[in-house]
Amino acid sequence: MAGVIKKTTGLVGLAVAQKPHERLRILYTKILGTLQTMPQDAAYRKYTEEIVNDRLNAVKAEPDVGKLERKINGGQIEEVIAQAEHELSLARKMNEWKPWEPLVEEPPPNQWKWPI
Amino acid sequence: MAASLVRLVRGGVNRTLNLSRSTALIQKRLETTTTETKPTVRPKDAVTHNQLSAFGEYVAEILPKYVQQVQVTCFNELEIMIHPDGIVPVLTFLRDHTNAQFRNMSDLTAVDIPTRPNRFEIVYNLLSLSFNSRIRVKTYTDELTPVDSSVPVHKAANWYEREVWDMYGVFFANHPDLRRILTDYGFEGHPFRKDFPLSGYVELRYDDELKRVVAEPLELAQEFRKFDLNSPWETFPAYRQPQDAPKLEAGDKPAAQ
Amino acid sequence: MASTAATRTASGAVKVVKPIFSRDINEAKRRVRELYRAWYREVPNTVTLYQLDISTSQGREKVREMFNKNKHITDPRVIDMLVIKGKMELEETIHVWKQKTHVMRYFHESETPRPTDFLSKFYQGHDP
Repeated sequence: MAGVIKKTTGLVGLAVAQKPHERLRILYTKILGTLQTMPQDAAYRKYTEEIVNDRLNAVKAEPDVGKLERKINGGQIEEVIAQAEHELSLARKMNEWKPWEPLVEEPPPNQWKWPI
Repeated sequence: MAASLVRLVRGGVNRTLNLSRSTALIQKRLETTTTETKPTVRPKDAVTHNQLSAFGEYVAEILPKYVQQVQVTCFNELEIMIHPDGIVPVLTFLRDHTNAQFRNMSDLTAVDIPTRPNRFEIVYNLLSLSFNSRIRVKTYTDELTPVDSSVPVHKAANWYEREVWDMYGVFFANHPDLRRILTDYGFEGHPFRKDFPLSGYVELRYDDELKRVVAEPLELAQEFRKFDLNSPWETFPAYRQPQDAPKLEAGDKPAAQ
Repeated sequence: MASTAATRTASGAVKVVKPIFSRDINEAKRRVRELYRAWYREVPNTVTLYQLDISTSQGREKVREMFNKNKHITDPRVIDMLVIKGKMELEETIHVWKQKTHVMRYFHESETPRPTDFLSKFYQGHDP
């Protein structure tokens, strides 16, 4: 339906999504799957799960694209899809980096002192 | 853990100084023209300040492995100080996370502070178009420690990193095309280092016999020889620590009496 | 500049440092030899490409002199940094980004040697 009414997103390089609901659902499930492998208390997992569950519930509850866009409030639905794609790639990288571990090294004394 | 690491400095000394100075100014103005209503001080924007510090804490909580310190300056700029190992993770997180989306690198540069053991500060300025917000990421290195290149994260970093390499001599590992960008071929040294003399080391002239431009070691003419060539940089006199005034011991008397 | 950093790292020998490329001195030496070989092979091309008024052997002698200038350095990180810079110079020379003037700067043809003893300094007029 969205493809019938909407001809363009008005943004260069961002094509109109044909089936945004399906795409979003797949992406969000993948993100949640990736987050499962992180430790429970990782802040990244906690916050991202919050965001993703929020949006996933909205996608499930709202069949109309226009209303969904207003409900998510993340721009056009195509932009929301792009954000989800980025989040997925980030979540996969985060699994490698493990940024929830303690600080690798304290800064040398007075490194961040300004004025000198 | 994260909360203990994060220190939210509000640019304390700086701001109070500025405020007291400018309030004095206003009073003076009011005496002369009573119609002046617009304050010349930058208004305190508590909402933005709180938003920024909240976001800073959010980042520090998610990335405790790399974030060393978070601060909001007196001009409402969020600064995140990170360990050099975390450049690619932190920049990628800020680019790809739904709540950050700093997808645009507006600037990358370095600062040379020779008194520190890690004398170079590398500064990344990022812009989030979606949230109309800016952030500054800082890290540190010395002359010989390579820094991870941020080109895989931001394409814009390519020339900026070449510039930093050329001007400061900071080596960026995994950079696709690291070479000089501003200086002439055959130029030696890194001009933005504080120990690089203002006049440079060589002077160029056209040689009529050899029919080409030649470079010769710098030789200043008589009237310019009094120049101090060591360090052209004034190290912020306004920010210098006040010198300790000589104090009298408990038993001493002042010499004049 | 590099040498000051070298002394600093040498004094704090306990501190673990991040290597640039080479993990030990032998690896760094290998890189230097590679670079020297590359320069050595490039000299005849350079002489013809830039139409220099020198012979190949003179050019090779200059390359050798430039390498010998840094032969006292033992810190692998400093060696690596110098090799990186040398590689960049080589790239500039191979692609003819440089001009004749830049290549001939290595030879310091126009420079007169600075006076060393008192009397010749006096004749020169001022203390350089």
